[in-house]
Amino acid sequence: MLSSTFEDYLEAVLMITENGENSATPQEVAAATGAKEADVGATIASLVEEGYLEQAPDGTLQLTEKGKAVAAKVARKHRVLQCFLTEVLGVEESAASQEACALEHGISDETIDRLSSYMDGGACPPPGRRARCRWGRDAHTLLDCKEGDTVRVAAIQRPRRNRRLLDLGILPGEVVQIRRKLPNFSVVVRVKGCDIGISPEIAASIIVESCPPAVAG
Amino acid sequence: MKFALIGNPTVGKSLIFNQLTGLGVEVSNYPGTTVELQRGNTCFQREMVEIVDLPGIYSLEGDSEEEFLVRRYLDQQETDVVIVVANATRLERNLYLLLQVAEYGLPMVVVLNMVDEAAKLGLEIDPGPLRDRLGAEVILTAASLGKNIDQIIPAALAATRPSQVEIPYDDHIEAAIRSLEKVFGTDRRASIQALQGFGDNPDLLDAARTIAEEIESRRRMTAAQIIATNRHNYARELAGLTIREEAPPPRTDLDSILTRAIPGIPILIGILVGMLLIVFVVGSFLEDLIVELFEIFVLQPFIAIGLPPLVETLGTALILALQAGLGIAFPFVFLFYIAISILEDSGYMTRAAFLADNAMHLVGMHGGAVIPLTLAFGCNVPAIMSVRLLRSRRERIIASFLVTMVPCSARTVIIAGIVASFVGIGAAFSVYAIVFVLIILTGLVLSRVAPGEQFGMIMEMVALRRPDPKLVAKKAWARLSEFLFIAMPLLLAGSVVLGLLEFFGVMALFEGMVEPYTMALLGLPGYSATALVFGVLRKEMAFETLAILAGTADLGSVLTSLQLYIFSVVTVLFIPCLATITVLLREVGSRITIAITIYTISLGLFIGGLIYRLLA
Repeated sequence: MLSSTFEDYLEAVLMITENGENSATPQEVAAATGAKEADVGATIASLVEEGYLEQAPDGTLQLTEKGKAVAAKVARKHRVLQCFLTEVLGVEESAASQEACALEHGISDETIDRLSSYMDGGACPPPGRRARCRWGRDAHTLLDCKEGDTVRVAAIQRPRRNRRLLDLGILPGEVVQIRRKLPNFSVVVRVKGCDIGISPEIAASIIVESCPPAVAG
Repeated sequence: MKFALIGNPTVGKSLIFNQLTGLGVEVSNYPGTTVELQRGNTCFQREMVEIVDLPGIYSLEGDSEEEFLVRRYLDQQETDVVIVVANATRLERNLYLLLQVAEYGLPMVVVLNMVDEAAKLGLEIDPGPLRDRLGAEVILTAASLGKNIDQIIPAALAATRPSQVEIPYDDHIEAAIRSLEKVFGTDRRASIQALQGFGDNPDLLDAARTIAEEIESRRRMTAAQIIATNRHNYARELAGLTIREEAPPPRTDLDSILTRAIPGIPILIGILVGMLLIVFVVGSFLEDLIVELFEIFVLQPFIAIGLPPLVETLGTALILALQAGLGIAFPFVFLFYIAISILEDSGYMTRAAFLADNAMHLVGMHGGAVIPLTLAFGCNVPAIMSVRLLRSRRERIIASFLVTMVPCSARTVIIAGIVASFVGIGAAFSVYAIVFVLIILTGLVLSRVAPGEQFGMIMEMVALRRPDPKLVAKKAWARLSEFLFIAMPLLLAGSVVLGLLEFFGVMALFEGMVEPYTMALLGLPGYSATALVFGVLRKEMAFETLAILAGTADLGSVLTSLQLYIFSVVTVLFIPCLATITVLLREVGSRITIAITIYTISLGLFIGGLIYRLLA
């Protein structure tokens, strides 16, 4: 069992590296965790030593597979807790985020699973409520879906930038079907009977949740 | 009376406009054909009616140029009646725009088009609910068959009552509308637009912004998202009342092969290469035929008459120009326009855009750029105009550079007429290869250096259609007639001037002066420089002028293969034609236009010189 500081660091690296696709610098980690740079160096060194992180010669950091697994688990706990606090209990968002940060280290995997399925079962956030945590990212985007999947749009990041999505009917609550997904991640979704081709970077900003086939019709 | 046609892209608006006015507006099956307003007049029962075809849009409250234009048009109430055209097969999505237009409260006529296709899909349409809710006449039409089109004008003339629609908005939005109304006296429609940041009154916008921020923090959705959701929901309800869906007959879904990486991409490449091949092969056949006929029945008899030298020189120049224009340019240009019209009307272009999206990202644009790039094979002028469908200036600049480098049909005339005919078909394709490599390299460099941000593609895959041969021919003819009636006179006048200059020995003087340079740089005789200069007017004139100056259309007899090849490469890359420069100035401004011009001139001379050094 890692200490909560270590878990926070891994979670921070996961978010900064955007799910392990890029690399993070120690400065970014310090900024994200709010720790002093001197402390950061020491903690990072021990995480590297334990095999959770890899440090390139230029100082940038990347998660190892082992580190990624831990970080993803913590990030999920954070999301579920924050969701529970804001959507079910009605706690204010920033306070919820802070409390989720404290709680995420002590709660067991099983409790999180139950909490998550409890929320899915009835008190699930209404469509359009962004199930976001403090990092502003959610695991499921349109890019994570397979061809043929039918999903419900949960939120759209940077809604002002891609106004046309709204006008074409791709908005929170709408059920869409993935008609085509190319190996290079361009997707075609069917919405309101029309097929819309979407670039990968835009598809990545559309956050979706799975929806039961009955609703998909 | 003034009527305006408004609707989503590819709902058949332009086709209806064509049938109402009989004007030669271009109809295409991809988003964004009508960028400028098309106006046409028609007479109905001795009343003059002006009809305006507004560009196809998805929303009145978007940030694209077309959406801005249509919004401003409606704001200024320049029209007496709006005729909203909607695609009956995609009614729910089309109703979204219709509802926005209805909120303007102008007299309105609703045209539900493509009812024939809807029937094939097993959709039953009841116009009653729409008529009642909107207070507007609803006409069911099938524009491709010309069905019920004649009812539109009478219905529009009879429409005097403003349209009415009360979309139930979210409580927060309704409250915002009420308070804006109280403070500023604005109507519902203007308040809704102000909440989304559209309007002219800065005070109103300021207040609306504050309210919108408040709504966003409470509802955690932007005001625009909430409004769009409410409208879409209302559209869904209306569509549900209007359309009854029976079990649709099973149909083959072509997209299952067209948009897959395999075989979609091979098909895409096959279509492009096949298009070039057909144009080359059929074009050369026609070219041989027409040139031969001219030679035997016009040129030889003319020389046999034995007229005075000045008349004979001028006459020969004219005949050669006609021969080159009709015999060479005509077959290639016409075939190309037919091929491109078929591609456009079939709706395949949007599939091509989707497949090429990733590749286009590499050169700093998105899939939509495929449309201007493909159009450019026909003519760079409409291609540059369609560059507008890219959203950022960065993408437009990159696209403008690349579009001007794409060999248009006029340059195909040069490649096919000179290289394919006198050097070989393989060599002709190698010219394309050189140009494509240069286009890709230019794109790679520009995507690194061009400033600004990049937007991705959000593009509707329009329904695939079998192109109507009549429409394709009509469109190809409309484009060709521009060539016949603008380019040909220019060509004939140019050749008379050339003939005169030659007769009085001016040409010989000029050519003597430049010959040392062209010979040293490109290994080309002096008169080819004259031909290059004329190529700036019209690209194919470079070829025709060369033929006139060489004194024969059989260029192989006066120039070596290498010379012909270099001449073609330089002409193809060299400086865009005057018409292209003119639209470039309008679309991207003088700085970029000058940059493109300088770049292409130096590229042409550099590559030409390089080939000469390497192969001579």
